[in-house]
Amino acid sequence: MEKYRLITKVESSRSSGKSGVLEDTSFIAKDNITTKGTFTTSGSLMLSNYKSPFDATVVDLLEEAGLKLIGKANLDEFGMGSSNTNSYYGSTLNPLYENEERVPGGSSGGSAAAVAASLASFSLGTDTGGSVRLPASYCGVVGFKPSYGRISRWGVIAYAQSLDTVGILSKDVALAERVFNVLDRYDEKDPTSLPESIRGQVEKHQHLSSESKFVIGIPQEFILEDLTAQARSQWLQVLVKLLKAGHELKPISIPSIKKLLSSYYTLATAEAASNLSRFDGTRYGFNDEEVKETAYKTLTENRSKGFGPEVQRRILLGNYTLSSESGNHYLKANELRQRLVGEFNETFRFYNPLLSEYVSKSNGCDILISPTSIDPAPTIDEYKSKSKENFLAGYINDILTIPASLAGLPAISIPLPAAKQGIQLMAQYGDDKTLLQAAKSIEKLLI
Amino acid sequence: MRHIGRCLLPVRRSFSQYTNAARAVKEDPRWPGWGVVIGIEVHAQIKSRRKLFSSANTSDLTEHPNTRFVPYDAAFPGTLPNLNPRCVELGIRTALALECQVQPRSTFDRKHYFYPDLPSGYQITQHYAPLATDGSLQLSQGDAKVRIKQIQLEQDTGKTMFDPRRRVSSIDLNRAGTGLMEIVSEPDLRSPEEAGDYVRTLQALLRSVGSSDGNMEQGSFRCDVNVSVNRPDAPAGTRCEIKNLNSVKFMMVAITCEVFRQIELLEKGLSVPQETRGFDEAKAETFSLRSKEDAPDYRYMPDPNLPPLLLDQTYIRDIRKSMPELPPETRSRLLAQGLSERDADVLMAIDMGREVGYDGSLGHGAVAYFDTVARGRDSKIVVNWITHELLGQLTSRKETFKENKLSAEQLGEIIDLVQGKKITGTSGRSLLRHVLAHNSSESPTKLAEQMSLLVSESDSTSLRTWCKQIIAEMPEESQAIRNGHLNVVNKMVGRVMKLSKGRADAKAVRTTLETLLATK
Repeated sequence: MEKYRLITKVESSRSSGKSGVLEDTSFIAKDNITTKGTFTTSGSLMLSNYKSPFDATVVDLLEEAGLKLIGKANLDEFGMGSSNTNSYYGSTLNPLYENEERVPGGSSGGSAAAVAASLASFSLGTDTGGSVRLPASYCGVVGFKPSYGRISRWGVIAYAQSLDTVGILSKDVALAERVFNVLDRYDEKDPTSLPESIRGQVEKHQHLSSESKFVIGIPQEFILEDLTAQARSQWLQVLVKLLKAGHELKPISIPSIKKLLSSYYTLATAEAASNLSRFDGTRYGFNDEEVKETAYKTLTENRSKGFGPEVQRRILLGNYTLSSESGNHYLKANELRQRLVGEFNETFRFYNPLLSEYVSKSNGCDILISPTSIDPAPTIDEYKSKSKENFLAGYINDILTIPASLAGLPAISIPLPAAKQGIQLMAQYGDDKTLLQAAKSIEKLLI
Repeated sequence: MRHIGRCLLPVRRSFSQYTNAARAVKEDPRWPGWGVVIGIEVHAQIKSRRKLFSSANTSDLTEHPNTRFVPYDAAFPGTLPNLNPRCVELGIRTALALECQVQPRSTFDRKHYFYPDLPSGYQITQHYAPLATDGSLQLSQGDAKVRIKQIQLEQDTGKTMFDPRRRVSSIDLNRAGTGLMEIVSEPDLRSPEEAGDYVRTLQALLRSVGSSDGNMEQGSFRCDVNVSVNRPDAPAGTRCEIKNLNSVKFMMVAITCEVFRQIELLEKGLSVPQETRGFDEAKAETFSLRSKEDAPDYRYMPDPNLPPLLLDQTYIRDIRKSMPELPPETRSRLLAQGLSERDADVLMAIDMGREVGYDGSLGHGAVAYFDTVARGRDSKIVVNWITHELLGQLTSRKETFKENKLSAEQLGEIIDLVQGKKITGTSGRSLLRHVLAHNSSESPTKLAEQMSLLVSESDSTSLRTWCKQIIAEMPEESQAIRNGHLNVVNKMVGRVMKLSKGRADAKAVRTTLETLLATK
């Protein structure tokens, strides 16, 4: 267990309520999801002593369904990173590789590793720009990020909450779906929770059948030059299998994707700078206990000592973005986001329940497909030396995962064991059930 | 902290809804040859039971520090805001009372700065799209209308208290997250007195709609004032903002001092630097807090947790329908009912002191009390009883109208008894005193019976008996009257009244005494 660096092992004293649909299943939660009575550190020195006075809604719901929380998983500090090397508690290792020290991906690296190492049946992660899907891809497990607003964020320590989504990591799609069914409900404590009325609308118009043949779109923008030759050939084999299974493949284009990376980092770092303003060590969290001349000095010292370098870098970036001299990048990035949503709406057959009443379209894709990551998990040394060269290197993988984050779409990574990486499927906003249906049938083709 | 002076820039609006967009400079003997331009930004605490985004109760100054907050107010990680609809409602009431356009879509935005009493490191406000815009407020003196630029909802901060002896700062989060309305005027005020009038009129208006108790001394109503001076016909001068003013009186003094300071600078040929200033009440002078260059960069951004606030017309219409009466309406109604201006002003002044209830419940003040008693009765008689008898008694008991124990029903009954000549006016007054003194909820008719105050048929015979008894008891005085010293009658009337326990009518006593003594 030490190898995967669970941050907190939760003792059995924590009662898991009544019996339910998922009785006797154990789970591990990413340590940025609050759990009463145990530590919730967010992988940071800043919260290394922090015990939340309340449980996250997701933890409440799972425990009510009879599940047992058995531990809290390591992560990149406050969810910032894609390798799980940015944790105050050290790096998590990837269980897929017996004798090598490879990264598990991030930021939900501990959650993915815990499932891959069979420490628990499933785990909860959070996904802001790919933080569930990338580690799932690297660790060879399923990683599902539902539509934004389907699962409550009450009790999720915010990184960038216009993007933050609770996700599920498990060995197979079926279990992820069962867990999702428990968590997929409106929560009045979360102002961004999808209202009952829209949930009802979506359900009314979804038509699911187990033998569906899907129209699968392949965004041109995802045919990346950065894919390794091996990844490319694996990818082609997958497409062939899909065709053979009777699905229809359709090349499509989402032009905005090319410009998304800077928008994503503008939004994510601006929100992070804002959200992390609260951590000053005065009410809770890290405090170096030295008496300073001014209150202001207390705040700045606690923050300078309590945050790791990547978190500090993103706070600086975000504050620059929001500063009056930088221009209104945050608002501009949001405009690009709107355009992206529009392009996805034109691509999918299903309507966008947030933007319009139901319209029936005869053409359009059911789901989109792409690789989840451009390569399999790098070794820790490779990763670190690349980051040293250029700290932006860690951001490259995000290109594949951030479109679904920015548009709030449901997306899932399913393992392609032969390539030691994952395949990502995406569906229209709110259409999570169709996505899971497709994932279950495609999952069988990949083994 | 919105810079009002920015609106001094020439015509930002393509149409001018109001005629006073450029009010003429009034010559003021205090500063001849100079004009004064004032704009006021008010932060009024919303009188809601719960805070703007959390389930914690709001507090007044009586609560122990840090007893009124939930994890959200202390910015515990993982908490989320939950907009309190009561605050929105009270904001809309205020907007309607100020004749503003309530915006169908407004947004919540974050304003960032680090301070220990701001737990999240940002204040949620409505920077990009405020709740309401383009209103006006009629001042009570003169015919000036002050334009209201906008109203926005925002969070109050906690409080920092510094103990200089121990050199320790303590934080109290009771106030953190309480709803505020920021009400921004255009720079339409032209003198310290107008500024005072504006603030008092606004306070009365907020209280009348129940949106705030508007208490400046207790900090639930705070003013920042922008002041500039200019030569007539010259463009507006550079403004300075004066912050942290705790009373209308000090605000007016502060403006006056600031006007003199700016004029002195300009007359020396210097310029007025744009800055934020404080006010030293003891020295009666303003002092620099920070210059424009030192102003913090608030790094505004839309709050990603809070979707835009969408208000449909039906919702706004329903609030408009249930709006309580505004002070100018109340005043004209009272005058129309036949009250003198003085009586109306007395009633409304007392009404100002009433408790403002939570979440828009209006509480019962002097006007509502008058309305209840006056229903089916003569307004003038009723207002006399309230302003002369009731208030007089309360004053001598050192009680305020809030502490009044005489119910409107009881007072109505007393008035009916007196008007129906069932008891005398004197008896009516003693009944009123009795109820106040004994906190009695008994009906005045019953009390009058118990106290034998009711005028009975036999009272006219009693009157003669009482008078005869007193004549017998006071032979010297009686003789004096018989000798023509009529001023002594008053003394004897008093004795008869005492004997009758107020049941006798003073006039009748005098006549009877005079008759009895003259016929002898």
